[in-house]
This record gives sequence, structure tokens and C-alpha cells, in this order.
Amino acid sequence: MNVKRAFERVPVDREAEERAWTVVRAAFAEREPVHVVRRRWPVAVVALAAVCLAAALSPPGRAVVNAVRRSIGITHASPALFRLPAPGRLLVSGGGGTWVVTADGSKRRLGDWTSASWSPHGLFVVTADRDSLAAVEPRAGVVHWSLSRPAVALPRWGGTRLDTRIAYLSGSSLRVVAGDGTGDRLVAAHAARIAPVWEGSRHVLAYATAGGAVVVRDTDTGKVLSRRHVGDARALAWSRDGRLAIATSRGVDGLRLRGVRAIAFAPNGDLAIVTAHALLVSGPEGVQTVLRVAGRLAGVAWSPDGRWLVTSLPGADQWVFVGRRGRVLGVAHIARQFGGGEPELDGWVPDA
Amino acid sequence: MSAVALSVRPVADRRERALVRDAQRGSVRALEQLFRLHWPRAYRAALLVVGDAAAAEDIAQESFLAAVRALDRFDRRRPFGPWLHRIVVNRAIDWSRARTLRREVGVDAVPEPAAVQRESGGRADELAVALASLSAEHRAVVVLRYLLDYTPGEIAELLDLPRGTVNSRLRRGLDRLHEGLA
Repeated sequence: MNVKRAFERVPVDREAEERAWTVVRAAFAEREPVHVVRRRWPVAVVALAAVCLAAALSPPGRAVVNAVRRSIGITHASPALFRLPAPGRLLVSGGGGTWVVTADGSKRRLGDWTSASWSPHGLFVVTADRDSLAAVEPRAGVVHWSLSRPAVALPRWGGTRLDTRIAYLSGSSLRVVAGDGTGDRLVAAHAARIAPVWEGSRHVLAYATAGGAVVVRDTDTGKVLSRRHVGDARALAWSRDGRLAIATSRGVDGLRLRGVRAIAFAPNGDLAIVTAHALLVSGPEGVQTVLRVAGRLAGVAWSPDGRWLVTSLPGADQWVFVGRRGRVLGVAHIARQFGGGEPELDGWVPDA
Repeated sequence: MSAVALSVRPVADRRERALVRDAQRGSVRALEQLFRLHWPRAYRAALLVVGDAAAAEDIAQESFLAAVRALDRFDRRRPFGPWLHRIVVNRAIDWSRARTLRREVGVDAVPEPAAVQRESGGRADELAVALASLSAEHRAVVVLRYLLDYTPGEIAELLDLPRGTVNSRLRRGLDRLHEGLA
């Protein structure tokens, strides 16, 4: 039989065509044509920027910049990330793309994505950029599938080993897709721009709405399991034993703290809290400030063994590792090592 | 838009060029004509690679959505078809690979399915079985050659593969299909 003829006899589903046309037409109606806008920067601003740049690039100017960085960062920081202080693999992404760092300090760039997270067992990575979501194999960077969606951000992968789910933001909407890229659907039309979090190994998701509520929903049934108005959620985290921590501008987990920026549970249930200038750990024995700096902190991740924390000092271009026994290790020149920008900490998982 | 569109079939016909131009200017009617013109082959190509009607619909639809999002940047001197087909076929390959990820078990653990729907009768069953014996990458090359009529050189460019790889996949794919459809 002629192969070409056999192929051409494969039926085309006309109802599918009509469904697709409806979607494509709607997308066409919503598109925003690209206009090249020439910004006319005020001459004074341009001149000032040029002077500042020239000063910063000159040897004395460079020295001033470095001095400022030292004053807000960790002194005696290592000039490069030679190794991680604990076993595991660290996922990082930002303007320089998505990277995986292994315990021996070797780094692999997975691609040109701006945010990412690990699959529940660290076998894959979900990545996002401006208009796509992709599942990537972290050793070779092979893309297994991708979805085109507008303004994709903050993907988070959860579920069981046999049936995983990925939650992500697309513009202001929160969507969930199965780990194989199928069944993509809307969960909430107006979500707040903070990362949703999966509860352990169930398909239960916590997220914040634009209206100031934190909703816990079973994404398989759509059933809302709880809804709590908090006003201004800043970050969410779920412990292994099913405790949901909600950070707001007033505090977290019963603690009155201003300016909470990130939270993360350790494997043993201790909660790391990042405020503008401090890193705290809240556990059964109370709250301990493990790091205080002049610069602004951003992001936090626990090592898989729960013995180390890492946080970022973007203004000083440093990462800071803080051990349970009070050891503090700084690593400098982070932007240069990860292709520029301010790389964010997306998670630290055990070796596969 | 795409490097592929620069060299594979470099000249768009006048009618298609006019449709792209009008769609870029906001004409829904022109966009619909482009859609109707290319949908059947895009859908059929996806279906032949993934063997799943629902997935084929998603893949073809997503490919058109990608086209709509990039429409303003599209060089209308280039033909629309090769650019669209490249997206469709690459997404279909990605989808086939991705079936392993829903179960987080590693990339080689789940066999690849390929079962074209059975509406078209017994020959379709034979075609489905024959296609199922090929990997998604082999199916993609065969579909580009025998459904979408690209030359091996054009396929190599579309899929960013060496020409020799395309030829060997075509040879192997065709042999299997002939065995299955004999």
C-alpha cells in the first residue's frame, strides 16, 4: 500500500477543528500588536547614567562599588562557588537562565528560562519563561514537553511519584497541568503573584488569590478544602507533616515579623524565615536569628539533610550558606557565575 | 521568526503572503483562511506522530496559538507552512517523550504508544500497528516526508538533524511501514 495515500486517508476531526478555531480566534482578538516605542530619555538622566557608569568602570570607581558591596555583604566571602557545603543539587534561575549546581560545585546550564522548580523526587525540572512552560531532564537539559502560555511564572511541581501535577501562573490566572504536559486547566482566574505550594504527596494546592485569601484546593476534584482571608500573603510553605505556613506583612506562623520575604520548611519541620535583613529559624525551641546583614536578603532553601540554609544577598552579589552550628559561608560574584542577573534559589534536592 | 523559515521553501505564494499581511493588520477573516488552509495537515501530522486524537488536537491548536502570538514578527516573504509544521512536529515529538513524566519514573521506563484512531477501518489499524513499531522521532521524519512532502534536505533543516540521520530514519521507517501495510 502507498504510504502517502494511507497517511492522507487518516480522518481529520472537524469538531476538533472548530474547537481549535474558537480558541485561536479568541487568542487573536486578545493579542497586542508589537509596537516599537522609542523612549526619549531626558538628556540629564542619560548624562548622569553615563557619568555613573564611567565612574563605576574606572579603577577607583570599581573600588568604591566593591567597597559598598563588602559593606552590605559577607566579608571573606569565597570568590567562587567551589562546592556546596552539603550533598545534593541546587536549582537556580534568573536573567542568566536556569542552572543546576552539584555538591562538587560543577554547574550545568539547562536553558534560557527565568524560573524553575524540581519535580517531587528531583528527577525532572519544570521551567518557565515569558511565554512557555517546559519539563526538562536536568542532566542533559532535554526538553520533554512544553506548553505555550502567556506570562508564565512560578511553576511548582508536586504530587505522587506515579501521578504528578504542576501548578503555575499565567498572567493573573493559576493553572494546573499533569506532569506529562496533558490536561492543562484553569484553577483560579485571579491569583496573587506568589508561588503556589503543593501539600506533600497529595494533589492539594495552596495559593493566594488577588482578593487576599489563601485557598487550599483539591485540584483533581476542584473542591475547596479551606479558605482564609489574610489580606496580603507574601509567601506560602507546606511542611512534610501537613502544616501550612502563611507569611503576610504582619508575620508568619504566629510570629509578629515585619517584611517577611521568603519561608521554607526543613525536613524536620523547622521553618526558615527571611526578612529584609535577617534569616531566622523557628522550631520547637523557639525562634533563633541565624544571620543578620546590612543588605537585603532574598530567597531561602534548605539542604536536603536539613543542616544548611542558603539565602541570597543580591545587593552584594553574594550567596550566604548558614549551618545549623552557626557556621556562615559567603560566596561572591554570583551573577557572573550564573550568566548575569540576580539568580534566584529554586530548591535544593538530594542527588538523583 | 524562525531560522528554518529562512531557507526551507523560501518563497511564499502570493495568496498566502496576502493572508499573512492581512492577518498582521488584524483581519480575522484572513487568519481564518490561513487556519482552514493549514489545519488539516497540521492535525493529521500531529495525529500520525502521537497516535492520540486528543493530544493531536492540543498540539495542532497550540501550534496555531504560537503562530498567532508571533504573527507580528513573521516575515511574510517566507511561507507559513514549514514554520508551522516544524512547531507541530517538534511538539508532537516532545509530547511522545513526555508521556514518561506523568509518572516520575525516568525517561526510558514507559514504552511509546502510537495508535491512530480506528474510524477509518482495517487499513487504519494496520497503519497504527506499523507506526507503533517506530519511535516518535522516526514517525516524525516519515510524516514530514510522506504526508507533508518535504525533501530529506528540508527535513534535516526543519528538525535540525544531519542529512544522513534523516535518510536512515526514512529508510527504516519506510521499511517498517511497508512490512505493516503489505
